[in-house]
Amino acid sequence: MPVSALQGEALGAGLPPLLVAADRVAATVEQGVHGRRRVGLGDSFWQFRPYRAGDEIRGIDWRQSARGDRLYVREREWEAAQTVFLWIDRSGSMDFRSQAHLPTKAERAALLGLALASLLIRGGERVGRIGYDRVGYAGRGYLLSLADALSLPEAAAPSLPPPAELPRDCRAVVIGDLLRPEAEVAALVEGLAAAGVAGHLVQVLDPAEVDFPFTGRNRFIGLEGDGALLVGRAETLADAYRARLAAHREAIEQAARRAGWTVIHHRTDRPAESCLLALYLALADLGRRG
Amino acid sequence: MSALGAIGFSAPWVLLALAALPAIWWLVRLIPPAPRQTRFPALRLLLDLEQRHDTPERTPWWLILLRLLLAGLVVVGLAGPVLNPPPPGSGEGPLLVVIDDGWAAASHWRERMAALAPRLAAAEAAGRPVRLMTTAPAGEGDMQAPPLLTWAEMKGAVAALQPKPWAVDRKAAADALDDLPEGAVGETLWLDDGVDDGAATDFATRLTRLGPVTRLDLPPGNAALALGMPTLVDNGLEIGIGRALADGPRHLTLLARNEEGQVLGRDIMDLGAEEVGASVTIDLPPELRNKVTRIDIAEEASAAAVRLLDGRWRRRTVGLAFEGGDEDIRPLVSEAFYLERAMSPFADVRRAPLASLLKTPPSVIVLPDVGQVPAALRPDLESFVEKGGLLLRFAGPRFAASADDLLPVKIRQGDRALGGALSWTEPATIAPFPLDSPFAGLAPSPEVKVYRQVLAEPSLDLDKRTWARLTDGTPLITAGKRGAGLIVLVHTSANSDWSGLALSGLYVDLLRRIVDLSDGESATAAGDHMLPPLANLDGFGHLGGIAKGAGPVAAAAIATTAPGPRTPPGYYGDPAARRALALAPELADLAPLPDLPGVVVALPEAAPSVALGPYAIVLALLLAALDLLVALRLGGRLAPTTLAALAVAALLLRPGAPAVAIEAGDAAGTIHLAYVVTGDAETDAMSEAGLRGLSTALRQRTSVEPGDPVGLALDSDELAFYPLIYWPMTEAYAPDPAALERIDSYIKAGGVVLFDTRDITQGAGAMPGGGGSPGDQLLQATLAHLDVPPLVPVPGDHVLTKSFYLLQTFPGRYEGGPLWVEANASPENDGVSGYVIGPNDWAAAWAVDAQGRPLAALDGNGGGRQREMALRFGINLVIYALTGNYKADQVHVPALLERLGQ
Repeated sequence: MPVSALQGEALGAGLPPLLVAADRVAATVEQGVHGRRRVGLGDSFWQFRPYRAGDEIRGIDWRQSARGDRLYVREREWEAAQTVFLWIDRSGSMDFRSQAHLPTKAERAALLGLALASLLIRGGERVGRIGYDRVGYAGRGYLLSLADALSLPEAAAPSLPPPAELPRDCRAVVIGDLLRPEAEVAALVEGLAAAGVAGHLVQVLDPAEVDFPFTGRNRFIGLEGDGALLVGRAETLADAYRARLAAHREAIEQAARRAGWTVIHHRTDRPAESCLLALYLALADLGRRG
Repeated sequence: MSALGAIGFSAPWVLLALAALPAIWWLVRLIPPAPRQTRFPALRLLLDLEQRHDTPERTPWWLILLRLLLAGLVVVGLAGPVLNPPPPGSGEGPLLVVIDDGWAAASHWRERMAALAPRLAAAEAAGRPVRLMTTAPAGEGDMQAPPLLTWAEMKGAVAALQPKPWAVDRKAAADALDDLPEGAVGETLWLDDGVDDGAATDFATRLTRLGPVTRLDLPPGNAALALGMPTLVDNGLEIGIGRALADGPRHLTLLARNEEGQVLGRDIMDLGAEEVGASVTIDLPPELRNKVTRIDIAEEASAAAVRLLDGRWRRRTVGLAFEGGDEDIRPLVSEAFYLERAMSPFADVRRAPLASLLKTPPSVIVLPDVGQVPAALRPDLESFVEKGGLLLRFAGPRFAASADDLLPVKIRQGDRALGGALSWTEPATIAPFPLDSPFAGLAPSPEVKVYRQVLAEPSLDLDKRTWARLTDGTPLITAGKRGAGLIVLVHTSANSDWSGLALSGLYVDLLRRIVDLSDGESATAAGDHMLPPLANLDGFGHLGGIAKGAGPVAAAAIATTAPGPRTPPGYYGDPAARRALALAPELADLAPLPDLPGVVVALPEAAPSVALGPYAIVLALLLAALDLLVALRLGGRLAPTTLAALAVAALLLRPGAPAVAIEAGDAAGTIHLAYVVTGDAETDAMSEAGLRGLSTALRQRTSVEPGDPVGLALDSDELAFYPLIYWPMTEAYAPDPAALERIDSYIKAGGVVLFDTRDITQGAGAMPGGGGSPGDQLLQATLAHLDVPPLVPVPGDHVLTKSFYLLQTFPGRYEGGPLWVEANASPENDGVSGYVIGPNDWAAAWAVDAQGRPLAALDGNGGGRQREMALRFGINLVIYALTGNYKADQVHVPALLERLGQ
């Protein structure tokens, strides 16, 4: 069941429009609607300052200047938009759910991605997909086309984003199960960080992948053609597996920490809102400020 | 067949396959169930783990046990286990099965067939050839020698066998055995009926000549019962019951029924252990006795336990032509006095002037000492005789003076005095009655002397017309046919003036014989014409249509005709004047089978043999299904939720629970018919189906639109919502006092309860519950705790007979049981009787299944019409319960209209 744009919007409806915190905006500066609390190009009034030689005549605010003897120039707030690039994992391993009432990981990832995009677009930011879009787009139209793209099947999609040219100082959000060798994930994070991209990793896992509830004789079959494993008594493997998963997470978190990235863990049996809220806080840097 | 205690095997060699069980155990143990296939995205992480070498998993022990049990059950099931295996037959060669299928076998026919079945099964299993012989004649012609049958034919023939409503003919059967070739029979199995027809010894001798004979008999207490000839007595009908063998006490109910099957009278009697027969009198008031057409034994189902009655048993009405005369002067010696006293025990005597008698002609008109019939009445009297009436005339002084010619013989004028003071002759006595006279069998008493008589003119046919004469040869009673009727003349007076005849008991007997000839059904009136069959009894005593092969019977010979294939018992003649041909084994002639040399007597096995093979196979199949589920579960293809869903589906597939009391709001908002939940599942299901059928009929036909029927627990549910409660009496249900108190207050508050004893053997007693049947006793026990007002059978003008349909009968599954209502229903309840009590099992007649098809067969012969009438009664009852005496008010409509007109 593909996730629609409306579902994404509905999920984000409880949150205010997301304005991405940015010390430095991406190099692909586009004019946005939200002030950056500094002087620059924009529509909103920022301050009056005395006319200095060299200022353009048309910059003088005559009404203000008529109140006194000096000439004043009207300055406007610099309004620009940050661009956030998304990666939504659509590989074979995402098409999994352990129980019928849970969503698949791919559905949950798509929902999170759409909700985030919706929040960003409502906040006036620009959104793009790593590997698909060179620049970010604004407007609800992009949300719809994103939902369309996510609902179409995609053959042999990679788990992690391919190396791509991202504009400097943009943000990246990678949503997926991150079940790749730790080195691959670390390489991705480091590569992007080297390009000046800050970002967030969202690891979406099914509860069965976290808890490993299997018992008895099982033949485990991988979802991406990575073979099968016959286990006589699965329960004997549970502890070892959970330790291995914890180690995997730890390695990824370390790599992210080194690059200044954050990692958010999410299970499909938990509500999507909690993960979306964590993403919101991380992107808006509210958590850091608060 | 090999036996192992109480269990035998029909194919014991199959048990050898049990030796393969260890191999199965080894195989099953070695091959573990297939692993569960699990999709797992994080396989990469798993692959990174260091793999330990697992011991190969073994099949769980309980699964091995399950599969071994399964294999064992299949093997045992195929080996054909039989519980209580029948004893092996002793003889060799073809088996001759002789079945007595006469009337005596009918009443325990089922038991007889059940006793035969295991022996046939054993013979079939042994693969022996078989011959079947039935000893009751089945049609015209000689009995055929029993042919060889295949077992399929044999089973079909035995299943289709029905007892015949006539006796067996073992002599013909023995003759037919002579046609068998040598060696055609190795052993004989004889299912007898326990009654000797005089040829049993000869028949048995012939059978023993063919080979060993086993006679299969029923245990004591099953001897066939027969009814004798009923006779009319003052207070009812007397009838004899007999059996061939006094084989234990029997509790019998004799029922006298009318044409519609309604029970008019009954008598419960206990036949002692040593008694072969008994004579029973069924008490019946005269007016009911005339309506009896059938007497039967409720406990027996055979043609001999049914006695059909025709006009011969009907009381005649006798009109005594009486014009006044000397009655006032000499009341105790008048002719009318003697005649009335003599005939009233067996006839309804009406004393009236001849003119008024002729307006509504009785069966017999008696003219004592009337010489000349008034000319004005003569044509009417003649036509009465022509049409079949009986005219009985007595001589007397007036008659002797001048007699007319409405007489059987010509009479000389004047009378003849015998033994007077001036005469040498002695008063004459009556000569023995000739055999061809209607009085044959009566013994004339020598004390009866005749002093005066009138004499007949000699004529050629005088002798033929004389029924009785004096010792000197002069006729005393002459008779002659005239048209369809009969004129009888007694040549002496009806009182004691001329003879002592009127003072003797012979007078009553003679009059009875004469009166019995009336109504066009007399022996002399019945000539040589043939009576076609009208309705015949079958072997079980059901009166049905004309039997196949039944032919006409000569009217004169009907009393002596022995029932047979051409003349099955039943009614013959035309519907207006039918005659009963009785299956009349003379009770005195009933004899048990004698000891037959060389015949082994066997009783049926106490425990019938049961083939266990199918059960074992079914159990194995169930285990296989369970094994499949287990395998699927172990393979991960069946989630526990699926199992739960299967279990829930299995639960839901159970037959629906009966309706129970419903929410008060719904109960008050819609009309619901309600029944008492008795706890007996069958009864409750029938009540529910019955009320459902009645509700459907109400919805279709009336503006009453009831909801689903509701089952009520009397001790807890609120009763006030329901206008009508149906209460089937069942032994399983004994309401506690609190429940009875509730139902009492329910009825007093205006509710209606239909008590259904579902029991037709309730007689037409003076009280509901007066009979001795179980239903009656229950009803009595229940009503004893209720405040029951006086009850009456439903009067003809009761509101129940007209509240929706116009009805006079209230049939249910049974017809004819009386319906009782309150005699004076209280005006507070709109005159509605809270008690409606009857035995007719209405729910069964109303009951329909989900498709609207009737559920239960009806007992009467009404069929669809009876069901319809039952529904109409139900509709009337519901309307009655809902509208009260509204319809009763309609009787005032003419008066109101009249007043309006003024």
